[in-house]
Amino acid sequence: MSDLRISSVWRGAKINIRVNGKAVIAFEGETVHATLLAAGYRVLRQTPKTHQPRGIFCGMGVCYDCLVTINGAANQRACMTRVEDRMEIEVDET
Amino acid sequence: MKRSYHVIIVGSGLAGLAAADILSRYGLQILVIDDNAHLGGQLLRELPQAAAAENRFEPDRLKRQGVRLAARIKKGNIQVLNGTQVLGIYPGHILLVADSRGHVSEYCADALILATGARERQLPFKGWTLPGVMSTGAAQILMKSSGILPGRKTLIGGCGPLMLVLAAEILANRGEILAVLDQSSTVMKLKAVTAGPAIWPKLLEGATYLARLAAARVSIKQGVRIVEARGRNQLEEVVVAGVDADGRIVRGTERVYATDTLAVGYGFSPNIELPQQAGCAIKYSKARGGWFVDVSDAMMTTVGDIYAVGEATGIAGAGKSFVEGRIAAWDILKKRSVVDRQTYESNAGPLMRRRSRQVQYGRFLNHLCRLQPGCYAEIPDETVICRCEEITMGTIRSQLNNNFTTMNGIKKATRSGMGNCQGRTCGPILFDILSAYSHRPPDEIGCTSARAPVKTVTLGALAKMTVNTSQDDGDKCNN
Repeated sequence: MSDLRISSVWRGAKINIRVNGKAVIAFEGETVHATLLAAGYRVLRQTPKTHQPRGIFCGMGVCYDCLVTINGAANQRACMTRVEDRMEIEVDET
Repeated sequence: MKRSYHVIIVGSGLAGLAAADILSRYGLQILVIDDNAHLGGQLLRELPQAAAAENRFEPDRLKRQGVRLAARIKKGNIQVLNGTQVLGIYPGHILLVADSRGHVSEYCADALILATGARERQLPFKGWTLPGVMSTGAAQILMKSSGILPGRKTLIGGCGPLMLVLAAEILANRGEILAVLDQSSTVMKLKAVTAGPAIWPKLLEGATYLARLAAARVSIKQGVRIVEARGRNQLEEVVVAGVDADGRIVRGTERVYATDTLAVGYGFSPNIELPQQAGCAIKYSKARGGWFVDVSDAMMTTVGDIYAVGEATGIAGAGKSFVEGRIAAWDILKKRSVVDRQTYESNAGPLMRRRSRQVQYGRFLNHLCRLQPGCYAEIPDETVICRCEEITMGTIRSQLNNNFTTMNGIKKATRSGMGNCQGRTCGPILFDILSAYSHRPPDEIGCTSARAPVKTVTLGALAKMTVNTSQDDGDKCNN
């Protein structure tokens, strides 16, 4: 799904992050939720009560639907965090 | 040890930036706090690389102002805390703040300006929690902040002008649009157009967007709503249907679109939680976008030396924010005797007149996003209303029948609004559901109370916080 990156955009440096242990390409300045979407990760977590999949919803830090684990810290808002080189992200796709 | 300032501004959107710019010019010590990683709020979302290019062409007048203000504030003598959340405001203008590393500390100031902005309003439909269904704002932010399209082919639904803006932006970025489905009918929109000259420039702007979409042969449908989002683990298809004048689905008009991306939005709600927690009075008006912070002509709330500016005082867009931030700043300068009466009047007077025109435009904008009561009567029982606590319409309905017809009552009876987002998403929806069912006036339905912490914080972070209890420390903020 790398085709979601808009070709005309002036991007930051290419960096490497890992999602569930797998290497994923990101660019400096991108937010975690956008990098995940571009890499094809649309399901980011399961709800605690009824185990329903959730992904990006409000995109601006209001809804808390895009919670992922970043560098070992659980329940981080992916939409409010910028990617950093060697960041380790865990999402719950199942 | 509390760090003290002359003024603390919460929110660095256009309203907050405009206030900070004036106050710092007169030598006041300012702290700007924002939850986002960047300055400029929702208006100035863009890639940091693009933002660094100061001389690039920006066609929008207000964005141009915002870019200029953000650049001045970055260079100036203003302390900025990005990625930082205000958890609560306590007597004496003491702020409990969690920074980007999760450290909790206290700040205080002689005066506070709360520029907390707005969030998108939603209308729940079956399957709206599926990954692939996102707000129109989320779709815009993906493109603006990260240069990533929301999807390969996006279906856009809801109501209000943001749908057209999003569609034009997707086209400009060489993305594809399946269709734009506007829930409000042409008749409803025409009723709003009688608002007067304040909206004429905006009508022209809307016509430009429509022309751009027409040239690209984008299918735009009026009086059509999203009925259901379907898919196994994520969005696969969307059912839509025509609606009647009361907002009810017209049977037999259903149609299915195959898509993995749906962007929906139904206008905006003011972010009132922090002012509300600080004790500021709120009021309800459909023309202002729902519950909003009650302010004087000088933007002062009902709590002394706490100001509220921008979308928090009523939805009307960046123009109103830019005016209100400056009005609050001039009032603070006058109160501190930094400027004389004449300087104050020559600056604040014209701004106050411009403000009333912007409020008038807001009335039109919110009218475009008005939803008919029939929309709520038809929400199926299995539809989730509170996304955090996973409370369905069926649960809400049964408690409505048990006579829980106020916001605080329905919250206690069902737990809706008690999750991570603290009712920011379902609150305005529940209010509309209660209004449609009970026909009670807004003041009787009420608004859910806001308590600290107004944003999530870990117990660990609170436990690590150093609390200063000495008396003389509090005296530093002479209020």
